Amino acid sequence: MGRLVLIARLVLADLRRHPAQAAMLVVAVTAATATFTLGLSLSGASQALYEQTRAATAGPDMVALTPGSDPAVTSALTSLADAPEVVAHHGPYRIVYADLTARGRTSNVVVHGFAETPGAVNRPLLTSGHWVRSGGTVLERGFATALGVGVGDRVTIAGRSYPVVGIAVTAATSIYPGAAQIGPYGGGSDYSGLAWMTRSDARTLASSHELPVTMALDLKLRDPAATESFHDAHRDSAVRINLHSWQFTAQQDLVILRNSRPILVVGSWLLSFLAITGVAALAAGRAAARTRRAGLLKAVGATPGLIGTVLLTEYLALALAGDALGLVIARLTAPALAGPTTGRIGDAAGPSAATVAAATALAVAVAVLSTLRPTLRALRTATVTALTATAHRPRHRPRLTALSALLPTPLLLGLRLTARGPGRAVLQACSTATTVIALVALLTLYAQPERGYGLNGSSVLPNLRGEHDRQLMLAVTVLLIALAIVNTITFTWTTAMEARANMAIARTLGATPGQIAAGLSLAQLLPSLPGAVIGVPLGSGLLALFAAGNAAETPSAWLLGAALTTVLATAALTALPARLAARQPVAQALSAETA
Amino acid sequence: MNVSSAVVRAFGLAKTHGQGQSRVHAVDEVDLEVPQGQTLAVMGPSGCGKSTLLHLLGGLERPTGGEVWVAGRRIDTLSERALARLRRQSVGFIFQAFHLVEELSAADNVELPALLAGRSRRQARRRASLLLERVGLADRARHLPSQLSGGQRQRIAIARALANEPLVVLADEPTGNLDTSATLDVLRIFEDLRAAGQTLVVVTHDERVAATADRLIAMRDGMFVDDTRLAGSHPRGLGGLIGLEG
Repeated sequence: MGRLVLIARLVLADLRRHPAQAAMLVVAVTAATATFTLGLSLSGASQALYEQTRAATAGPDMVALTPGSDPAVTSALTSLADAPEVVAHHGPYRIVYADLTARGRTSNVVVHGFAETPGAVNRPLLTSGHWVRSGGTVLERGFATALGVGVGDRVTIAGRSYPVVGIAVTAATSIYPGAAQIGPYGGGSDYSGLAWMTRSDARTLASSHELPVTMALDLKLRDPAATESFHDAHRDSAVRINLHSWQFTAQQDLVILRNSRPILVVGSWLLSFLAITGVAALAAGRAAARTRRAGLLKAVGATPGLIGTVLLTEYLALALAGDALGLVIARLTAPALAGPTTGRIGDAAGPSAATVAAATALAVAVAVLSTLRPTLRALRTATVTALTATAHRPRHRPRLTALSALLPTPLLLGLRLTARGPGRAVLQACSTATTVIALVALLTLYAQPERGYGLNGSSVLPNLRGEHDRQLMLAVTVLLIALAIVNTITFTWTTAMEARANMAIARTLGATPGQIAAGLSLAQLLPSLPGAVIGVPLGSGLLALFAAGNAAETPSAWLLGAALTTVLATAALTALPARLAARQPVAQALSAETA
Repeated sequence: MNVSSAVVRAFGLAKTHGQGQSRVHAVDEVDLEVPQGQTLAVMGPSGCGKSTLLHLLGGLERPTGGEVWVAGRRIDTLSERALARLRRQSVGFIFQAFHLVEELSAADNVELPALLAGRSRRQARRRASLLLERVGLADRARHLPSQLSGGQRQRIAIARALANEPLVVLADEPTGNLDTSATLDVLRIFEDLRAAGQTLVVVTHDERVAATADRLIAMRDGMFVDDTRLAGSHPRGLGGLIGLEG
């Protein structure tokens, strides 16, 4: 118990001394694990929303659809209702293919002709208003949201105006814009919304405008899981019947989320990488102090095991706190991300145990990878050496020194500062490359042409999948840029602190604060340049792994603009910490070095 | 003393640290004039304000009162940028802890001020070679500071201080970290500098160093308590002065 208390006290003392570093690690791990968890759990969350909607709406296990409305079709469908596997059914009912206009926006719509009193199977759940009545229509909630209409508004279907009397959700079709399970005359379906009318209104609508019709029958099976065998058993009907299982419909819900998983999972890798680089740079900056602390603990009798436990416990505790926060954020945001159309109800299930374990492993990996080296150094250094540990001595680089002597003073200082910390320069380059990768991905998403959900692909109704992808990518990019900003400031400040004595010497020899500040900025910019250049092909290559074969190429000017903007932003970001560092009193810095 | 020939002048120069009860007068309203070519030694116990005085004269710290003039220009009101330029052109610093750039060779260290002053690489290298020869370390030009003894490091620091042919060299305990032999080497260089007419202000604990100066100021509690003109160079030579010659 005493040992645990000691470890806790030492950990808390160190956290109190370096709260900014602790906060940085927690925030970085939170962002990474939240994104990672969302990426892994979107599919499950979407499934959960579908299942809850299905339960609330008595969703059918199987929907049988066949083009046309002649008696042979109706008879073939009705015979399915008599199959021994079927315990309940709804229909047959008409599905009429029409167009709907609301607020000046026109879209394809499939109108389901339903009884005024819902049956035992496929009972759409009203979320506002009331159920269909003669002369009125009920809109599916996702569709109504996209159109921006509510109860009391009027919509025009096939040229006739109807009041919207209700808004409802159903699990019988997939979410907007996938309401048309099959297209007119059995052909391919286009983006469509869903509306309900009374049976007679649907019949009138179809006949008065000679609109294409499909007949549908909703079936409840004795064994809801046995949809596959039911499908196989009724494949050879004389009339062509399309059978859509509830599993198929649930799977169709995921189409809109198809790109979300790679965006989130790859985004979480990049966030984790930035978290590791930022925390590693901070840890490296504290390496000498940490080694001295380890030496001090050893000198008073602490074993290497205890010291290692203290050092790792601190980072693991912070990483696990970030992990917990990330999981909570993922849990809270998953329903919104998994159901972008409001076509489903309920609450998404939390991340699975496997997802929680994977996110926690990611958090632990970030903590261990970012602190292992300085921790091992602290453990391995002999006690007396550790007590007098100073910042690491940079390598002598005669060629680089000779080359830099030919350059103007800020570049001379910048190049020599970069050479003092080649590891940090690599991290800065990687951090920049990561930012550019994210920007390239974002710009590429914006460069893709896409069909709108309006009539004939019109963009009066936006493509929700494209919007969803762009919003997610934008969120991931913002997180990545935020971490990259913190990293750049951290790199500049740690460079300045490590080179404090040398910069003070340069000041005594006549370097101006402006030259010192410019040198510190350039020390970050020099590795950022190759990072930005490499980021463009890396981003394009990474996207090529996930992009569709016919994806449009992003204009080169956009990509070059992204790289250039990143470099300029880096220059601007380094300016403030560099100026602050350059204004440190010279005599004080030299005295500190001597002490 | 001919005031117009003074390279360094200070009037009512003061520097205080802290506030209220803990206020400390590191330098307490001192007046000083150092003419061209003079070697001035400032002595006093630890904490008496010697180093602070040197920092004030070189523009490394700003005074809380009084004026500092270098080369006929008031410097205590200058911007940091202008102070840097002044140091680049007119002031050379030598520190007890050498303060060499550890990852640069001896020659690179000596070149650095010239490069910072905008000289070409060739000019800087030529000047560095000359200075390294002058301090007897031409054969150590490619060595890193860590490969040199304390005395050699200080000689490199002296060469560096002379790189831009400064009007005044300010030396803070230049022999404080050196053994007797290395001290003798440094004093020989100072003697050469004095003979060449280099203005030199040396802060020291070491009476042997002070004895080589033209003038000795004693400091206590931030104030000058004695100002003595010495006889000049010693006929017995430095070795004799510091008891190293038989």
